[in-house]
Parts: sequence; structure tokens; C-alpha cells
Amino acid sequence: MVLKIFFPQCCNRADSGLLVGRWISGHDSAVVLAVIHYPFIPGQVKQYVQKMQAQSGVELSVLGSWSLPKEGQEGMESFLRDLSTIFPQERWLQIRRQMGKTGFTCEILKQGPNGRIAERKEKKKQEEADGGDGEEEDEEKVIFVHYEQRKVMLSQLHPIQSGDRDPKTDPPSELRQMFQTVARSQPLFFLDRYDDGPLKSTHWQSEGREASIIVELLKQASVPLCMLIGWLLSIWTWVCNIRIFSLYPLRFLSSKLSTCVQLSYRTEHMRTISSLKPATDHTQFMRKANILVSFLVDVALGVLLMSWLYRDNHITMLANTLVPVADHVSKELEELLQWLMGAPAGLKMNRALDQVLGRFFLYHIHLWISYIHLMSPFIEGILWYGGLSACFGLTFALSLLSDMVALLTFHIYCFYVYGARLYCLKIYGLSSLWRLFRGKKWNVLRQRVDSCSYDLDQLFIGTLLFTILLFLLPTTALYYLVFTLLRLVVVLFQGVLHLSVDFINSFPLFAVALRVCRSYRLAEGVKFRVLCDEPGSALHLMMEINPLKGSAAVQTYRTPTYSCYPKDSWGALVKKLFVGELIYPWRHKTTKTD
Amino acid sequence: MGPDGAPGPAVPWRKVLWECQPFPDNYVDQRFLEELRRNEGIRQYRYWAVVKEAGFVAQQLSCVAVFITLWLYMEQGLLSPEMLLGTSLVSALLGYGLHQVLTSQVETCTEPRTHLADLQSATIFLSFTFGFSPVLKTLTESVSTDTVYAMSAVMLLAHLVSFPYAKPSPPGSLSLNAALFASVCLASRLPGALHTFAMLSCALLVFALWPCLLQRLRDNAPNQFTAVCVGVCVGGVGGLGSQSPGGAVLLALALGSVTLLCPLLLVRLQRHKDNIQGPWDEAEIHEDLSHFLH
Repeated sequence: MVLKIFFPQCCNRADSGLLVGRWISGHDSAVVLAVIHYPFIPGQVKQYVQKMQAQSGVELSVLGSWSLPKEGQEGMESFLRDLSTIFPQERWLQIRRQMGKTGFTCEILKQGPNGRIAERKEKKKQEEADGGDGEEEDEEKVIFVHYEQRKVMLSQLHPIQSGDRDPKTDPPSELRQMFQTVARSQPLFFLDRYDDGPLKSTHWQSEGREASIIVELLKQASVPLCMLIGWLLSIWTWVCNIRIFSLYPLRFLSSKLSTCVQLSYRTEHMRTISSLKPATDHTQFMRKANILVSFLVDVALGVLLMSWLYRDNHITMLANTLVPVADHVSKELEELLQWLMGAPAGLKMNRALDQVLGRFFLYHIHLWISYIHLMSPFIEGILWYGGLSACFGLTFALSLLSDMVALLTFHIYCFYVYGARLYCLKIYGLSSLWRLFRGKKWNVLRQRVDSCSYDLDQLFIGTLLFTILLFLLPTTALYYLVFTLLRLVVVLFQGVLHLSVDFINSFPLFAVALRVCRSYRLAEGVKFRVLCDEPGSALHLMMEINPLKGSAAVQTYRTPTYSCYPKDSWGALVKKLFVGELIYPWRHKTTKTD
Repeated sequence: MGPDGAPGPAVPWRKVLWECQPFPDNYVDQRFLEELRRNEGIRQYRYWAVVKEAGFVAQQLSCVAVFITLWLYMEQGLLSPEMLLGTSLVSALLGYGLHQVLTSQVETCTEPRTHLADLQSATIFLSFTFGFSPVLKTLTESVSTDTVYAMSAVMLLAHLVSFPYAKPSPPGSLSLNAALFASVCLASRLPGALHTFAMLSCALLVFALWPCLLQRLRDNAPNQFTAVCVGVCVGGVGGLGSQSPGGAVLLALALGSVTLLCPLLLVRLQRHKDNIQGPWDEAEIHEDLSHFLH
């Protein structure tokens, strides 16, 4: 049986006194949190420990005694040993250290069923010793694990387990319990040496409580700021919930425009940040911090964009290039259609159908160009006011750009839909009529192909239609191919914009910065370094925190937003293209609130 | 150990495997292969009966030849579409009358098909074909002539191969569709929309309605059926001969071999048949399952 004692490094040189800490249930270990110095009154110590237990919720108790005898303090040991009668425990630890020696010695007094059974175990540890040559009956070994108290207190062990656990699952591991103990014992660490109370203790903060003026000022300022943001949000929510906005066309439109979607997500984020309750656990705190930091970075980038945009007449330049670009695009499209109406790439097109389709699309392009020319005086104004939206963040500017691209290429989308529907109809017709050609039919109930005896007129008309569809297939397929390619280019561009918006929204910048600067706060585990190991003597280990890997930090703390990812695999996409189904390759997940 | 081995013990060998017998598993006694049956169920063909049946196949071949002849005439402008339409209409009416005459009383009761339904079908055919003929005409404009001929030849061959010679009355899907596909390909090469319409009506007549009439003839008047077959064959050879003598010679050869040579081979080669059946064959179900389907 091995007894592990977690000993804080700050107490290595503490004056003699009592050890306060916690026995970890279910494992053979104890965590030492502080040392209360001599002189003390035992009754006051008991009171203090009970008060701390009530404040922190940790099962604190007096673990044992610690003696580091200085000059003029002989007789301390026997006094401390007698204290074991005052504080009744199952096990009483007596840890001793000599000045000048680096080793600890530990005695464990157990209270068995027959009264007191003292087991004397002496373990000497010396740095230069040449191996322990004492013979001990090692029925119980002691391992001292030294830890840095401040770092462990601030650290969070990953994977994070939620607070209320099902009692049926396994109890938390020893390490996790130890981290939780230190983290929750914060009230214990408020007693520093400048306090005028009856007790003096040693822990990591006993030299004086740390505080930062900036952090305190921010904490004071954040309360009215949160209230202001909350009030603004309530007005905004009231405006959004006006009934006129709940009409179907507006609601459908607002769910499709990415600007509105981005606006709703930012509103959610603001609501999370501006809640007046402080964060209850680590996850919430990280979520709030990440949202705040990414919002600030977003706004900073947006302001940068604005400062570039409104300088040197950039807006006028942009507006003046937009109409010629649109003209150029439409001219290219017209040339493309003329080429298709001829004999493109030597393919055999049906001339009549070719002319019909080509003229239809040419007329659409003509309509679109007229629309652009109609809008051209207003473009500069639209760009100017649109650029103002970048003050809300770069994500808004990008969403607005994506929406404008969607509106400007609406005709390509229309062409694609026409071409795809025609092609899809043709493919379905052909496959069904091919089955008729062979004398078979699709059984919808059994989802398979069965034989069927058709009537004469069905056969006749079916064969005629099959022939017509077959010979018109190259024409339709070519138009479909051309417009699908154009549509895919537009979709790709929009996808890039959406991906970058999503990246800015969800990347946990605060967590990554924490991982880089204060890596002990995000712990994946611990590693142990041997301080001294001699056969036959106690083991002293130094526990160091193993920080979380960067990729795991990003994975754990990603803000869930409408992550934009491709809906189909490559194979499914190609199959859809082949059959003629309409593609909406980017799927937007609705946000999940956890 | 085989039948020539040492005489076995007193217990006779039985051909069962569930008993533990003192013989090895692959032992057979002298009754081996007694249950072998050779050429059971073989049919004795008589030459002239087979020739008569083969006449039907020859008739169908000649039908295709007649159709191609008509198309050749239309393409060269020797036959005007109006004349073809008129002739088709008249023949259709005559055929319909003959069909009604030949239908016996029993058959009309089991499957009553009124004249109105027939008229409706005919109207659908004609209107559909007439409406689509301008579209059909432009279908193969951009396809090269060789491709069109090749496609039509393949399709007509498929039609001949998959034709339901045993019971042509509900026309087989693949054969009819292949023939119609070939006729659309050929018809779209003609100079005008009316030509296309006429050609398609003729194709419908020849490939869809003519076999129904033949079926009736075969059922009710077998002697006349044979005469009709011979007549069609002669007509096919003659018609093709007026356009291309080489084609006529080829057709005559093909008809001769199908009608006379192939039955001879069939009858002669029967004596080389050597089927064996025995108790080792898979079980066959000889019930008529059609009464489960109704």
C-alpha cells in the first residue's frame, strides 16, 4: 500500500505547525493545502477549519503535524505528537524535516479498532547517500508529490467533466479530485501574514494577496457596461419581434441572407457576454472570454477595413469599376451562348432546340444588363452605406459582400435552375422509357424493376418519346454542363467567404493565447520528475503540469456557430450532378445552444 | 471396390446413406445405371411441318424487306406520301374487317373490345404522330447517314431476333420498340414532315397491326395462313428486286435457307442428340402456376 501525500512547494520551509488539507476519498492520498503555525489554540484551529469548510465546500481537516525545528524549539516534537489526541483522525501524519537536509521523514499513526497502534516507519532520504542500508518492514510506503500550488489552483484538467455527475458513473480520478480540491480551496488562501487574526498560516499567497489594478478596474467597469449592452439588446430584440417582420416572405429572405444570419449570431453572442451573472464554471468562462476576444478582433479588423475604404476615394473607384465589369461579364456570356448555338466542339446539336434555348437565355441576359444599368447611379451610395457596416465587424462586411455577389449573379442561378430542371426531367424520362423499351417497369412498392406487359398505344407513344428524348440529349446536356460550371464558380466564391466568416466567428483566440502564454492553465495531465529516489527510502516526485495540445485546445473551445461545411461527399456530389439534381453544396448547421 | 470385388456379406446393399452398411460409401452393385434414360421426351420432327412453321419466320423477314422497299421508294420520290397514306388507310380498314370476321364468338365474350376503344386508339396514334412529325423530322439532321443506316439495321435485326413467333398477338415490347425506333430513324431522313408521318403510319401498320391479323389467321384458317406467308415472301423479293437486284437475290437466298435448309438441318441433326436423364437430375415443377396469379 502506498500513501501519496501532495505537498505544496511553498510549504517546504514553513515553520512548524499543523497540516491542513483533505484526504482524497477512495484513494490512499492526501492533499496538503496549508500549514498553520505554532503558537495556536486548538479550539480556534478547529473553528477556523470548520469555517473554511463551510465557505469552500471542501472536506477540510487537520491531517497531521509538520515540524521544521529551529533553534530554541526543542520539545516541539513531543508537543506536536500529543496533538494527535486533540484532533481525532483515522490516520495522523507526522512529517519532519531537518534544516540542512533535503529529506522528509514521515510517521503515520493509525487508529485501529483496538485503540492506538503506532507504526513507526522511518524513511530517510539523502541526496548523497549510497543506498539505504536500513532494513525496514515496508508495509506502507509514502510518496511525496510536490506541486506548485498557484499553478494547480488556476489550472483546469481536460477533458472537462461537468459539475453534477451521475453517481452511477465512475468517481473522478485521483488527479482530478486533487485539482478540484486545490481550485475550490480559495477561501483558505485569503489569510495572509498581514491579517490580525489569531492564526497564521503558510500557503502560496501568504506573503500578501495579489491583485492587479487593471483587472479590478475592468471588473468595476464591466457591470454598468453589461447593463448598457443588455438594455440595447432588449430594444433590438423588441424591434426584431415586431409582427411585420414575421411575415413569411421577410422571414424566408432573412433566413437566406447571410447578413441577417450573422446578425442573429452576434446578438446571441452579445447576450452571452452581457449576462450579469459571473461565469459559474470553467467552460462558461472560456466561452465568454473567447466570444469577447473574437468580437474585439473582428471589430478591429473591420475598422481597419473601413479606414482603408473611406480614404482616397476608394469607394468611387470601386463603384466605377463595377458597372463595366458587369457589362464585360454579360458580353462574355452572350458570346458563350452564340458559340453554343453554333456547333460547339463539333458536337451534334439539334438546331431547333438549340435556337430556342439560346434565344431564351440571351433574352434573360438582356434583362439583367438593363437592370444593372438602371441601378448604376445608386451603386456608389449603396457601397458607402454598406461599408459602414464594417464597424460592426469584418464578418459583417464579408457577409454583405457575399449577399451582394449572390444578388448580382442571380441570373446565373436562374439559368442553372432552368438547365438543371430540364436535364433532370430528360434523364428521368429517358430512364423510365428505356425500361419501357425493354418491356419492364419500376415497381414502386417493392423498389425494384419488374416485367410488365404494356398496351399497344403505350408502347407506341413510349417509343416515340424515347427516340425524341434520346436525340435531344446532347443539346440539353451541353447547356446544363455550361451553366452548372458557372454556378459552381459562384458557389465556390461564396463558400470561401462563408468559411472565413465562420472562422472568425468560431476560432477560440483567447484559448489559444492562454495556451501560449499561460500554458499551465489548460492541463491535459501531469508529468512527474523524480527529485530523489533511493531504494528503501521515500520517493520525492515533482509534479509538473502537462499543457493541452494546441489542436485539442482549439477543438475543445470552438464556439459553436453555423459551421459551413460541404453537405455531400465528392461521390455523392458527382452523382447529383450527373442526374441533374439541384445542388446546394454548402450546408449551414443551425446553432446549438448547450 | 466395385462390382467386381469380392462378394459382399449376406446383407444386400441398399442405396441409402442413413444406414451404417458394411460397404464403403462409393460402393455400387450391378444395378448401376439401370435408371439411366436416354433422349427422353425427344420430339420427332417431320420435315414439312417444320417447313410450314418456318414460313412464319420467313414471312417476318419479308415484311421488313417490304417496309424497306417502301422507304426506298419514298426517298427517291417515286411514291408520294398522300398515296402511301391512302393505301395504308384502306389496308387498315380491310385488315380490321378481316380481323372482325375471323374473331370467333368465344373470344369476343372473354375479351370484349368495343369498336369505340379501337377508334380511340387509332385517333391517339394518328394525332400523336401527326403532332410530333415536325420534331421527328429534325431529329437526325446532324447525325451522319452511315450512322443512321447502321442504327436502323441493328434495330431491325433486334426486332427480328426478339419477335415473339410463338404468340405474336400482344406484340413483344422489345421487338416492337426496336422496329419503331428503326422506322423513326429512317423516316427522319425523308424530305418532308408529311413523308415522316406517312412512313410512321406505314410502320405502325406493318409492325404492330399486321402480326395481330396473322395470329387470327393462324388460329382460325391455317391453310390460308400458309398462302398468305408465301404471298408476302414473293412480294418482298419482288419489291426489293425492283429497287436492287442484288438485294433481291440475297433476300431469296435468306428465305430459302430459313425455310428449307434450316428445317432439314434440324431434322437431320436430331439423331445426334444424346441427352441422359436419371434420378440425379434436379427436381422440376410441372405444375401450371398460372392459377396462382389470378
